[in-house]
Amino acid sequence: MDRRSLLTKVFEPHPASPGATRYTNAVLRTQNNETVKFYDDLIRGKQCVVNFMYAECHGSCPAVTQTLKTIYRTLNDRMGKDLFFYSITIKPENDTPAALKHYAKMRNVDLPGWHFLTGDAYDLKTLRYRLFNMDHPGLDADEALHSGYLRIINDARNSWGMAQAFASNRNILRRISWQDNPKTYAEMVVVNRAVQEQIMKDVKKFGYRRDI
Amino acid sequence: MPKSKAKDLQEETEGTISRRSVLKIGAAAGAATVVAPHLLGPSKALGFTDDPPDEPAVRCVNTTPATPSPAHRPFIDNFTAPFPAIPTNLVPAPQEFQNAPNEAPRAPHQRWAQFPPDVEYEMKAQAGLHRFHADYGDSYIWGFNGKYPAPTVLNVYGHPTAVRFRNNLPAATTTFGRNEITIHLHNGHHGSESDGFAGDFFPPNFYKDHLYPNCYAGLDAFGGNGDPKEKMGSFWFHDHRAEFTLNNNVMGLNGMYLVYDGTDPGHELPIGPSLRLPGYYGITDFPIILTDKRFCATDPVSGRTEMVNAAGGDKWIVNGKIQPKLTVRRRKYRFRFLNTGPTQSYDITLVKPDGSVGTMTVIATDANFLEHPLPVDAGAGAGNSNSTTAPIVPGAIRVSVAERYDVIIDFGQFPAGSKLYLKENRPMFVGNPSPDPLPAGLAIENVLMQFNVVNREWWFPPDTPAIPNTLCTYPTLPATNNSWEWQFVLAGGRFRVKRPFDAGLGCVFDPDHSAHCILRGTTEEWLINNNIASGWLHPVHIHFEEFRTLKRFVNGVEVPVPPLHSGRKDVTRMEAGQGALIKMQFRDYNGRYLIHCHNMGHEDNFMMVRWDICPDAASLASCLADQQVCQLEMEAKERFREEMA
Repeated sequence: MDRRSLLTKVFEPHPASPGATRYTNAVLRTQNNETVKFYDDLIRGKQCVVNFMYAECHGSCPAVTQTLKTIYRTLNDRMGKDLFFYSITIKPENDTPAALKHYAKMRNVDLPGWHFLTGDAYDLKTLRYRLFNMDHPGLDADEALHSGYLRIINDARNSWGMAQAFASNRNILRRISWQDNPKTYAEMVVVNRAVQEQIMKDVKKFGYRRDI
Repeated sequence: MPKSKAKDLQEETEGTISRRSVLKIGAAAGAATVVAPHLLGPSKALGFTDDPPDEPAVRCVNTTPATPSPAHRPFIDNFTAPFPAIPTNLVPAPQEFQNAPNEAPRAPHQRWAQFPPDVEYEMKAQAGLHRFHADYGDSYIWGFNGKYPAPTVLNVYGHPTAVRFRNNLPAATTTFGRNEITIHLHNGHHGSESDGFAGDFFPPNFYKDHLYPNCYAGLDAFGGNGDPKEKMGSFWFHDHRAEFTLNNNVMGLNGMYLVYDGTDPGHELPIGPSLRLPGYYGITDFPIILTDKRFCATDPVSGRTEMVNAAGGDKWIVNGKIQPKLTVRRRKYRFRFLNTGPTQSYDITLVKPDGSVGTMTVIATDANFLEHPLPVDAGAGAGNSNSTTAPIVPGAIRVSVAERYDVIIDFGQFPAGSKLYLKENRPMFVGNPSPDPLPAGLAIENVLMQFNVVNREWWFPPDTPAIPNTLCTYPTLPATNNSWEWQFVLAGGRFRVKRPFDAGLGCVFDPDHSAHCILRGTTEEWLINNNIASGWLHPVHIHFEEFRTLKRFVNGVEVPVPPLHSGRKDVTRMEAGQGALIKMQFRDYNGRYLIHCHNMGHEDNFMMVRWDICPDAASLASCLADQQVCQLEMEAKERFREEMA
């Protein structure tokens, strides 16, 4: 076995991933002022949750950040290893890396695996269109419409899904798990056994599979 | 061989490894690789080729604007019914409880002791090759038992059936399909563990046994096999995987499931209570399974024609063929229209040789007989289209996604040698002229299929008697216990289902929380409302049981129920601004069911909601409490948002 793969997880994209042609390789900067390429450094072969926000936003953005913080705590073991959060600003003219750093620190979310990203205004608009495309000029132009949604991407599986940030946290966790990498047969058998046990408890208690 | 060389080269350059190249690598490495025939499975050892094909080496790409599909010549392929599914003996035998470890988790089958299955089928979701037109090469599809459309399950009321849906899809795929499945029988009356709940999908290597009791609704009240007045006929089954229903249905994971009984026995003989409708499957009784697809010729070497990603096709597909032809005898035929979507509606007219609109007599809507047959034509029957706002195509039957309309066409009125056509209102891309002169006013781009009328041979079944004036009597609905409203809205830029009291944007599809709790044995009136923040068409489907439409509304004003919506149905077409008040019973089974828009793009978005049938008051109370918890969490988030604003 390659020694490197023992030390760091190798992120392999799915063979059918559209790669940078969909995600672009826009050059962005993180809250730590690191320069990253959107596809190559952030998306390629990884599972991630992307949302759009801006630091001065009141209302949705802090509410979504709060929700993501709760999700982060629940998925703490995976964060920064095989799951990443990207919060991208829609107001790059105000949101410098320093401003985003301040925002993250203030909200206690300056955490490993959670990048706050800024960059060129045109690039960010392109990203927003590419990630939240409704094929509808009016809806796509409305910046506010995207603030309440989380785009869940898994490039290793070439799949993406979506969650609504204002739905229950359990719903968001479920939707993130729907894009997880496939489990092996043996892993699946273990998961199924646990699910089946819960089902049988539900049936006894409620008369049917309740799943709550 | 140049073909295989080209393919190998592609494999190398693409970095994908097929089974064949693995074998080759083994050989090249000089390893003593002995492949024991039994390891390859019995089919391969015996030389059968039901092994799923490899994924296509070359994929189609989406372009903007979309590139037209390759041209085809009309009326080359024959129109046929999908082959009937063949019963089997399942090993291990289906059981009341989950067959660990290879069966996906599920609740025990309800009413297992009452309905032990006496017929068993296996439906393997697996890759296959299908040729959509003789001018095309093979297309890589996913189908049940590798076929598109799936084999049709032909069943009889009173014979409970177990269907094992096995996931044999590839472990990794480069197609737009998703290799996890949960199969819904639309619109079977059975336990929710057999209902293909959208969140209960399972990956390759697993299966799930569904128990279809083939009973009538009303088991609790009527005992035995239920109330025969609840008879249904034309069911269909399809993948319901949350977020990927559209993709997997475009890949081909759907098929028909017909159930017969004494009045509709699947033959035409004067036996018992038979209505003597045209009824020999594949001879005088055909499904017409509609979908649209787009293709590209990927590889001139292999001659493959692959499907282009997702919705928005430019070829109308009829039972898996483009513009097929059917030779019909001068007698009556039954056709069962089914629109498998994924998103488009069809306005279908019968065009006679002189170009005028012919009569199609509708006998059933969404699997349920109408009480009285309803002729749809351009004359007296004009306006029978079930629309109240969209332009009505005279004499057309408008089939929204997932709707079924069973019609009878009498070819006896046309002389031998006549050619009739089924016309769809939207044009497709053909690229070749019609080989036969078309009736005046009909363009080849609008033709779904062609009928060639010939005299009946001595061996062909004789015509059936006139269609009876009364096909059935509907059951009487009990008094309403509860009223409820579902709003189908576009809110926050996404499609979703809202309850009137929902804060903010309202629900998204949540497999873990019920949005509405119902006590088993009750009857409810639901207002399905597409009158708020609308502008879109939503064919709304309710799982589990058929409903009756009490009222229809356009922009809040009551309008008469269109004739084609007056019968029992399970899909109601909601155009922008429309509403429907429907009445439905919740009985016989417990569990989780769904209401959703059957535009598959919309249901994959968020336009789907779970509702539960609870067996008793305690269960109902805890369900309501959970519904409350979910609601409180959402409201708390909304409050937080408002506080921060």
